[in-house]
Amino acid sequence: MFGRMSKSYDVVVVGGGPAGLAAALGALESGISRVLIVEREPEAGGILRQCIHSGFGLHHFKEELTGPEYAERFITKVIDRDIDVVPQSYVTGLAVDSEGTRLVRVLSERGGLSTIECRSVVLAMGCRERTRGAVRIPGSRPSGICTAGLAQKLVNLDGYLPGERAVILGSGDIGLIMARRLTLEGCKVEGVFELMPYSNGLTRNVVQCLSDFDIPLHLSTTVAMIHGRDRLEAVTVAPVDEAGQPILEKGWDVPCDTLLLSIGLIPENELSLNLGIELDVVTGGPVVTSTMATSLPGVFACGNVLHVHDLVDFVTEEALRAGRFAGEYARHIRRPQDTISLVPGQNVRYCLPHTLSPDRTHTIYLRTKKKLQPCLLKVGDLLERKLRFVVPAEMIHLTIKPELLERFYEDRLQIDLIPLTE
Amino acid sequence: MTTRRVQNYVCTSCPIGCPLQLVHEGDEIVEIEGQECNRGAKYAKQEFVDPRRTFATTVPIEGALYARLPVKLSAPIPKHLMMAAMGEIRKLSARAPVALGQVMLRDVAGVAGVDVVASRTIPRTLCAPDPRAESRA
Repeated sequence: MFGRMSKSYDVVVVGGGPAGLAAALGALESGISRVLIVEREPEAGGILRQCIHSGFGLHHFKEELTGPEYAERFITKVIDRDIDVVPQSYVTGLAVDSEGTRLVRVLSERGGLSTIECRSVVLAMGCRERTRGAVRIPGSRPSGICTAGLAQKLVNLDGYLPGERAVILGSGDIGLIMARRLTLEGCKVEGVFELMPYSNGLTRNVVQCLSDFDIPLHLSTTVAMIHGRDRLEAVTVAPVDEAGQPILEKGWDVPCDTLLLSIGLIPENELSLNLGIELDVVTGGPVVTSTMATSLPGVFACGNVLHVHDLVDFVTEEALRAGRFAGEYARHIRRPQDTISLVPGQNVRYCLPHTLSPDRTHTIYLRTKKKLQPCLLKVGDLLERKLRFVVPAEMIHLTIKPELLERFYEDRLQIDLIPLTE
Repeated sequence: MTTRRVQNYVCTSCPIGCPLQLVHEGDEIVEIEGQECNRGAKYAKQEFVDPRRTFATTVPIEGALYARLPVKLSAPIPKHLMMAAMGEIRKLSARAPVALGQVMLRDVAGVAGVDVVASRTIPRTLCAPDPRAESRA
């Protein structure tokens, strides 16, 4: 029930976004009944609430939904299945007592500080945006500079337009979507500037969000300087050299009152760090086994807190799985320990989960370091697949069946992406 | 005698994004080049004959936790009518509760059968009263 919180649960889920909602439902599938979602905002749904554009659900529901529609399908199920959701609340800590019960510290706007007992925990805190400090843009510190996601919240939830003339740094999907959104609302978007020689967003978004509205996309170009005392007045943009450094002599000024930053996302792992959970330096998220278990027993992770996804459909799939394993753990079911470590090889930035067990089917997620067209995906000597096109912005997923691992006796399985010539 | 012209498109059917060249004489398509699969030709033809788009926006809502209700078009409309549709939607307002799929405006921009619909429910069960919202009001 919404707003209800008891003293004891089987599973506590930290975060009520797409990952947390699916994890809670996954936990029920394993046969337990008492699940609590702790949510920071006044309602569940996470970032989907402000992603009002369509394009969600093509994999999971086989139809195209807007963010709020996608979220509502899960919120409805969570309400129907009698899962408790406590809003405007934070998990501040976690301890284990001598009998193995997990004690979750919850700080709640209405209920104050309390301790909730449970058998297992799912981390689903999502991610946050990189800010100006992360890319160190020189210049003054006027108002009018914000991340693309914050601007999206201001426009779509609060109904404020952040400015009248905007420049967008970064061509990830959020930046592209916001270019169209601001234009529709009457704000002039001067251009989208991308450090890399290619766009980080989907082709569809480049066409439908930029080309349709004659918004220029400047590749291999960055914002090199910020001007303005109280309010942003202009930015200097400049092409970059091979090392990604701006060539200032070739730069030019773009007058604007708003600068949106769409420069990447970071898994939000303050809680994980406080709990001493081992993190992967590449993904920024916890190291997990094939059951999505972190290094802290009884604590599982899924969604953007684990690694930043590009499609919510995969968050849902991963979170359902993490929830099921957390539910099994709460029922004292223990899976055999993983025996194979999965390691990224040539051109692979990362692959998840970090370890595998030969007894069941695994879903593996990986990301390429660079654009390859075409390439050969190799999983040790077990599996080869030709891929026509891979880019860092698009996660690759594959399934490994237990038959494949049956006669694999090594403890290390490497994944490579080998470029092929056409 | 009409002259041959080339229209360039980037196919959005999949992430590869093939650059397409559509050769036409007036309204007649002569040939389509550049596609790696047959979806490209279909895409270029649709873009040439009748390019359509859909979009999402918000309308102000009263009596809800947030100030805006997200809305979407029930089907794509001709691309050149997008701004006209935005102009009509800007005049709308809503009052909670609103049901998912509730029609806010019929035949947007004069396109028969295309409606502006709510893309979420705003019932009391989805929203907790926000004390900050009260102090703002």
